[in-house]
Amino acid sequence: MKRLTPYPVLVGDVSLEVREARLDDISLPFAMISVPQRMVALHQVERERWETARLSVRLRTPRQELASGPWRDEGCYAVLSERRTNVRTTARLHQEEPGIWTGDVVVHRDRHVGRVQLTGHVVATVDGTAGRQIGTADETWTIDLKARTPVKSTTIRTVWADFGDEGNARLRPFSADPWTVESVGEEPVLYLNKGFEGLSTMLESSRSVDRAARDAVSAQIAQDVWTSLFNSAVYAIDFESGPPDWPGGWQESVLKRLLSDVFPDRSPDDALAELANRRRTGDGGSDLQTRLLHAAAKQARLPRNLGAFIRTVRRSGQENE
Amino acid sequence: MSEEIKEFGPWLGRQLRRKGMSQVELANELDVTRAAVSAWITGRAEPRMEKIKEIERILGLASGASMTGTDIPDSSGNVEWHHRLAYADGGRELGNAAAFAFDSDLAVLAREATQNSLDERFDSSRPVRVRYVLHEITGERLHRFFNAVRWNDLQPHFEAAADGRQKVGRVLRNGLRELKEAGGLLLLRVDDYNASGLTGPEYDDGKFAAVVRRQLDSRKSGTAGGSYGLGKATLWAASQFGLVMMHSTLSEPFEERRERRLIGRLDLPWREVEGRQYAGPAWLGEADPRRDGAPRSWWADERTINDLYLTRGSGDPGTSFLIVGVHDPAGEATDLESMHTVLVRSLAESFWACMVSGRDSAPMLEASVEALRDGRTVVAEERVDPHRYEPARSRAVRAFLDGETVTEMTDAEGVVSATVPLTVPPLKEVGRPDAVVHQAILLVTPASDDEGPNRLVCMRGSHMVVVERPVSDVPLGSPPFQAVLLAGQATGSKAEDAELAENFLRTAEPPEHNDWKQTDDLTATYARGAASRIREFRRAMLDQVRAVVKPPEVKVDETPPSLRDLLRLDPPSTPRSPGFPTVKSATGTLDTDGAWRVRVEVRLPEREDPWSVRPILRFATRSGPRPQAGWAEVTAESNCEVTDDNRLLFTAGARTAAFSCVSDVAEHPVAADMSVIEVDLAQAKDEIR
Repeated sequence: MKRLTPYPVLVGDVSLEVREARLDDISLPFAMISVPQRMVALHQVERERWETARLSVRLRTPRQELASGPWRDEGCYAVLSERRTNVRTTARLHQEEPGIWTGDVVVHRDRHVGRVQLTGHVVATVDGTAGRQIGTADETWTIDLKARTPVKSTTIRTVWADFGDEGNARLRPFSADPWTVESVGEEPVLYLNKGFEGLSTMLESSRSVDRAARDAVSAQIAQDVWTSLFNSAVYAIDFESGPPDWPGGWQESVLKRLLSDVFPDRSPDDALAELANRRRTGDGGSDLQTRLLHAAAKQARLPRNLGAFIRTVRRSGQENE
Repeated sequence: MSEEIKEFGPWLGRQLRRKGMSQVELANELDVTRAAVSAWITGRAEPRMEKIKEIERILGLASGASMTGTDIPDSSGNVEWHHRLAYADGGRELGNAAAFAFDSDLAVLAREATQNSLDERFDSSRPVRVRYVLHEITGERLHRFFNAVRWNDLQPHFEAAADGRQKVGRVLRNGLRELKEAGGLLLLRVDDYNASGLTGPEYDDGKFAAVVRRQLDSRKSGTAGGSYGLGKATLWAASQFGLVMMHSTLSEPFEERRERRLIGRLDLPWREVEGRQYAGPAWLGEADPRRDGAPRSWWADERTINDLYLTRGSGDPGTSFLIVGVHDPAGEATDLESMHTVLVRSLAESFWACMVSGRDSAPMLEASVEALRDGRTVVAEERVDPHRYEPARSRAVRAFLDGETVTEMTDAEGVVSATVPLTVPPLKEVGRPDAVVHQAILLVTPASDDEGPNRLVCMRGSHMVVVERPVSDVPLGSPPFQAVLLAGQATGSKAEDAELAENFLRTAEPPEHNDWKQTDDLTATYARGAASRIREFRRAMLDQVRAVVKPPEVKVDETPPSLRDLLRLDPPSTPRSPGFPTVKSATGTLDTDGAWRVRVEVRLPEREDPWSVRPILRFATRSGPRPQAGWAEVTAESNCEVTDDNRLLFTAGARTAAFSCVSDVAEHPVAADMSVIEVDLAQAKDEIR
């Protein structure tokens, strides 16, 4: 996919940086802001009930290019957006010196639920038309309202629970299972059974002797997770009204990670269309499952981890003989 | 002679023996009654001064010799080899049964000899010191040694015994051949200091008789490691010639003397030399006139001791055993260096626990090994350091001695202490009604993987290692560890239960002292159920180890690290060479009609079948679906053709292609000059967004 604009745009780099964050005017430790991860963690135990977070941002534009180009009335904006709430908040930045634009953007807690994207944009009047976008910051920042550390962890959530415990009514039927996946709602959860003897110690083990078995089990778990989540995500695709649409949320993420291996010779959009087509027509279901197993195994790095495990077992078996 | 004579009687008795003179003979020479001589010797009476002078004259000693304790000097006439004659019934012993009871090798020798030394510890506030000296001698040194040991007298016996087809004969033949070929002799001296020494009378019960005269006799007190008297046999088994010289400094005087008690013992099989048949053993010593010339130990002079390489390092009581022609019966260690290594390893392995000292307490044992060749050091004396050879276990015992154990495993150096109950059943004979419960102490500490982890050693008494075994079924995730169990008196307890447990466990040991299990002795000594109590104890100690090392259930609300990478949800990185056709470049302008004129270059992955795609035109939006528009015209440029429905069919095998197209203005959702467009390719027949 290539974009074409009917007017000249910036070629040089535009970069966006969060300089400081304040929760209700109280400065957040800088450790909560990670420049390399482009991430701000807003969750602090001590300040559970904050209302606004004020982020100081700085945008750098190619000074020379912007000054000599065919644009007028250049302006820079920082935009907060969250797909789940479909909220957009725009803050105008002011030019501190040529090429450097700064300003504050305010995150209102009650407008967001999880992760907010922060982007930087350069607009100008081109050919007499005002407010045309001529540049976008290369990087997008993530403002996480729930994270305590500025780590872009986009891992499927894992919960350790004793499946046999009285309090876990939902999990009790699976008390004999080592793990299970819950793929309903906003966030899918992988439940690992604390009551399954040895599972937690093995998965948390950092000993080299446990590594092969640990990684093989991890791969097995991951394959189950991906298979299960993919099958749930397929049902989240809306294909009733016109062309199929990406479902958003974790379902979209799951589909995007897996489809390139399910249909390796198709672009993501094409693969989505193919998937919707098969669902609609009811054709190719078995073939899809075979392809899915392959994609999930690859995602879980099953071949490598299982192979290492088998080699280890064989080796120790020979030693014991 | 350094020792001050305390009484005249024992001195006189000794001189008569050395001279081979009877009390009657002396009485006749002095013209007194035999009873008078006897009274002098037993100390009931003392002769007058002139009689003493006369006695000194008769014995050929200088005047005043009795006051200084001077002895009649040794002479070759006094000390010689005494070979036991064969039995009248013609029975032949072709080897020492006790020596065959062991899988003998140098490591076993070090274990057994050192265990004996530990059992004979004299001053319990100080360590027993053992010293192993390997010495290879040649030339003049060898010559002097052979003179001192009267080798020439033994030569015919060796040759006779070497003729036999038995194992002993083979070993002997090898030894004689090596001696002849290499011209060198390997000696191993095993010293102990601060030990009892070979005390006691010549023939009656005592440590001397037990070691020198008897087989399978153990003169040991309750805590002793051995109880079968097999250990000493390893000394003779380690000599190619079956020859061991013994030099002892006594902790309790015998014949009023403590220093330089010497005797040699040779263990050969039955043999016939010059027409006479010999039973086996022989002793180098004085003939005892009071026992028909039976061999007995003698009090040697310093030169003899020196010639025999038996000089002791200090006046501390203890014994030096000199193994003549030492070899490793297992055949593994063949030179000084490798023997040195074997001995150090064995001492460290068997006695590390005895060599660990607490902050305020001395160790029970200090051990060292050195190797010499003709008086020159080959391997310097190495003091065996338990912390070097058994770091984790030694750390565990030291923490116990220092009272620094903890209850939970929290760091890599901590030593956890727990207890393991042992029920000691009552004895069969004694009417002790109830079983007694003894709490053994279990120590567990993390260990590195290269120490052969997850093993348990069990000790009793003076920290003697009895059981060494792996711990199976270790809970997953537990750190590698070493466990040490202290039972009976090894717990340091002086209470009755510790003593009872000590005896019970010793009874449960087989001759090798390497296990606790049902033995004949156990069932004979203890009330019914004794074997079950041992089994319970063994099970309880393993269970306790597992309980200690079981890691606490960690509250994990996080993804395990090994899963983290496998469950990432962030968008996949764009592949460098995607498996589907992609737009390599798209350039375009708006024409005067407001239509987009676009030229597109396509990159095609390798595939046999020709690719077929549909060019897509979309109008970009900030969010939500992006509306599509159709093409008014599609023109092939290279490597492709245009089908009827405006699809592109690329040439099979082509890797790039180019085409151009013009948008259908009627389908534009907004004026083209007010929007941004996207150009893409789709394989699907239907519309895709």
